[in-house]
Amino acid sequence: MIGTNPIKIGARERVLGLTRFGVDQGRPGDLYLLLLRAFTAPARIKRLESDAAGRLPGVVRIFTAADIPGINRIGIIPSTKDQPVLSDGLIRCRGEAVALVAAETQEAGMQALGAIELELEPLAGVFDPKRALEPDVPLVHEKGNLLFRQRVIRGHADEALARSPYRLRTVYSTAPVEHGPLEVEGGRADWEDGRISVTACTQNPHYDQSDLARLLGLPPELIRVRQSETGGGFGKKLDLSVQSYLALAAFHLKRPVRMVYSREESFLGTGKRHALLIDYESGMDAQGKLTAVKVDILGDSGAYASYGFAVCMRAAVHATGPYEVPHVLVDSRMAYTNNAWAGAMRGFGVPQMAFAHEGQMDGLADLIGLDPLELRLGNCLRNGSTTATGQILKDSVGIGDCLRRLGKIYRAWQPRVRSDERFRRGLGIGAMYYGIGNTGVSNPSSAQMEFSASGELIVYTGAAEIGQGSDTVLAQMAAHYFGMPLEQVRLVRGDTKRTTSAGASSASRQTYISGNAVLDAARDLERILKEGAAAMWECRLDEIEYKSTGMEGPRGESIPVTEIVARLARQGREVKGNGRFDPPVTVLDHQTGQGAPYASYAFAAQLASVEVDTVSGLVRVPRVAAAHDVGRAINRRAVRGQIAGGVVMGVGFATMEEFIPGKTDNFREYHMPTMADAPRITPLIIESHDPSGPYGAKGVGEPSLIPTAPAVANAASRALGVRMTHLPMSLERVMETLSQTRNSKPEIRNKSGF
Amino acid sequence: MAETIDFFLNGELVSVQCPENETLLYLLRERVGLRSVKEGCGVGECGACTVLLEGRAVNACLLAAGKVRGRRVTTIEGLSPKGRLHPLQEGFLLMGAVQCGFCTPGLILAAHSLLEENPHPSREAIVQGLAGNLCRCTGYHDIIRAVKWAAKRMPERE
Repeated sequence: MIGTNPIKIGARERVLGLTRFGVDQGRPGDLYLLLLRAFTAPARIKRLESDAAGRLPGVVRIFTAADIPGINRIGIIPSTKDQPVLSDGLIRCRGEAVALVAAETQEAGMQALGAIELELEPLAGVFDPKRALEPDVPLVHEKGNLLFRQRVIRGHADEALARSPYRLRTVYSTAPVEHGPLEVEGGRADWEDGRISVTACTQNPHYDQSDLARLLGLPPELIRVRQSETGGGFGKKLDLSVQSYLALAAFHLKRPVRMVYSREESFLGTGKRHALLIDYESGMDAQGKLTAVKVDILGDSGAYASYGFAVCMRAAVHATGPYEVPHVLVDSRMAYTNNAWAGAMRGFGVPQMAFAHEGQMDGLADLIGLDPLELRLGNCLRNGSTTATGQILKDSVGIGDCLRRLGKIYRAWQPRVRSDERFRRGLGIGAMYYGIGNTGVSNPSSAQMEFSASGELIVYTGAAEIGQGSDTVLAQMAAHYFGMPLEQVRLVRGDTKRTTSAGASSASRQTYISGNAVLDAARDLERILKEGAAAMWECRLDEIEYKSTGMEGPRGESIPVTEIVARLARQGREVKGNGRFDPPVTVLDHQTGQGAPYASYAFAAQLASVEVDTVSGLVRVPRVAAAHDVGRAINRRAVRGQIAGGVVMGVGFATMEEFIPGKTDNFREYHMPTMADAPRITPLIIESHDPSGPYGAKGVGEPSLIPTAPAVANAASRALGVRMTHLPMSLERVMETLSQTRNSKPEIRNKSGF
Repeated sequence: MAETIDFFLNGELVSVQCPENETLLYLLRERVGLRSVKEGCGVGECGACTVLLEGRAVNACLLAAGKVRGRRVTTIEGLSPKGRLHPLQEGFLLMGAVQCGFCTPGLILAAHSLLEENPHPSREAIVQGLAGNLCRCTGYHDIIRAVKWAAKRMPERE
């Protein structure tokens, strides 16, 4: 069962078109909810007049911030809840929601939006994160424009750099990126006897419940959140979106309501990948060993915090990449601006950092005249290495294996890479490591398990399945534990009434953390069954053996599982195993960033071949080989699927994606890779077996994306002979680079075949 | 102004009252209640709303309801009439081409249209034929494999 390829749970319903997503929840008779958004930012609301609009036919009610009974501030991180659900009088960024219309039809709702009178007084704003941290600038929030700062200090980086024979300093920057799941935000809410029930697409139903309770000033028990089937997330569905409006309207109107964002609203109304500015200096000794890195990171959180705190911290922790660096000085800051707000997106800042540290590795390889793959192999972490935060990695450090595996392909591809008059070609490597789970904080998962009367194994989990395959992987683990076929496992998932919290489906954490919680529940259930059998047969627990058909005693006794369950139930015992897992981590020291922020790390390296068209500036990526140390692949098909999906999203990040509010807010202008842009992908699964993981597994959801853009950027840099330091490498940027370098000697040597 | 629009939906004649210029997408989702037809962008860029009109893939979000009068419209339900999976559906399952599954009905229908025109497409022909359908989860890798798998198993046409 472990390491096999069962068909994904829910896939059959999906190919038949039976699956109901968040956007499919609406039913006849539901009221439609629509938002009035403001497009001038920053601004102050001078006048908001909705009485006339509220009297239009078909309009039921119009809500503003005054209608929020609880706290009009949401946000996943408890210390930075700063985002109003409906404007508190200020418009801090473009697209801020001002008023909520409930209407009998979509058309009536649209009419009402047009009839609401909104007068805004523009204010001075700040749009550059560097400027935002200078004195005497407009404040986005009263507390100041610095959202968070995290340093990582190990050894003496300045002195070590001064002593290093090779030094390289480069400034890298990245653009805001949209997640682009095919399903936008959507859902439905209902009211019954003072209880509100919300069904919507989400990555974290239990968080949704707690912030909705705060928003409405109700105890959480009165709010039930059910995760509908979810059409992709990638971090976009971690923050609350339609849920807040659905719950607010259902609370006041006491009747069912439905809401779906338009695609444009979905772009505007959710957080983006943080644009980071990374000033990176590396030092290397004459033998090609990294001596020190000094990294300054500045992130743009936009108008709200969302996950900014976590991205700031994770970027700092991962600044060195998967390498041993004895001296480290990282200063990571996250600033508020009046730009579009940023939130979690697949990788939490690490994709941006990997672009920088991998650009440095290639740059250093050129400086010292070493092969980029060999240079990485000579510096990469291994079992027993110490990370930048002083954590000793005891085992399961698979980066060396990933690089060696790629090496064979690298050497096979090299002779084929030749540039001609029009097309410049190159190969590039990107490597990464990624801490599984949240950074330096408790982030537990819990699960329960029981046998039904008919012998089905029921797994209760709060873990949101968003397409990544957690349902299947958790069910496989449960089935494997009890030696049962997968078809006999049933999941109860993502419902605050029936399941307990698994934390977010983010940070590549569900396989590892919820997987461990499921195994813990399985052990607990087995213990309960064995106790029942031991009491019946008057023997010790360790004399009882569990077989897939039932329990066997020391004197040849046997009893089917269903019978022992029934027997225990008759005795009034709850035959439900309870499981919990919280990865053992330490809080990072605030001054030095030292600590053990994660219990497990995934590793990966990818190789990209790139072709740059010197006429159009188009960067094409014909091939990618992707080697991923996932600990153990629970479901090989799903792991390969994650890798392929991550690679193509990484190609988009590298070559085309940039969110510009008001300009690229639908797929017409915002280009994501189509099938024609997707490389041929060779997924390579490396299994280092993490003893702390469920059956040895770690995670792969985000790692799949992280090395791609660095590999593509390094390949494009090789092809062009100049270091590409900004993502995306859009047509315009590539043409600009070409025109600047046409008359100068290339910075990067193009060794034969490379 | 509501009009009567008669058309064949998955082989059955249906009659719907709606304005001529309403989109086929709205008609199918909200009036007929077929939620398998998805809206991804509303501007014809993502292909999630793909249906077959006389066997050819079209974006239902761009097509006025009046245009289907008297014509045959096929949605994903029309591919597996008795619950028996079409080879494309089976291929998507077996090759792991389904992750979140939101793009799946549209992609399967677009692939159906492609295979009608070109029963044995090359990789390049598959890529060309399906480049109008976005998928954000799979990286297309397994979708291409699924279409190839299905192409080998499509019933031969007379």
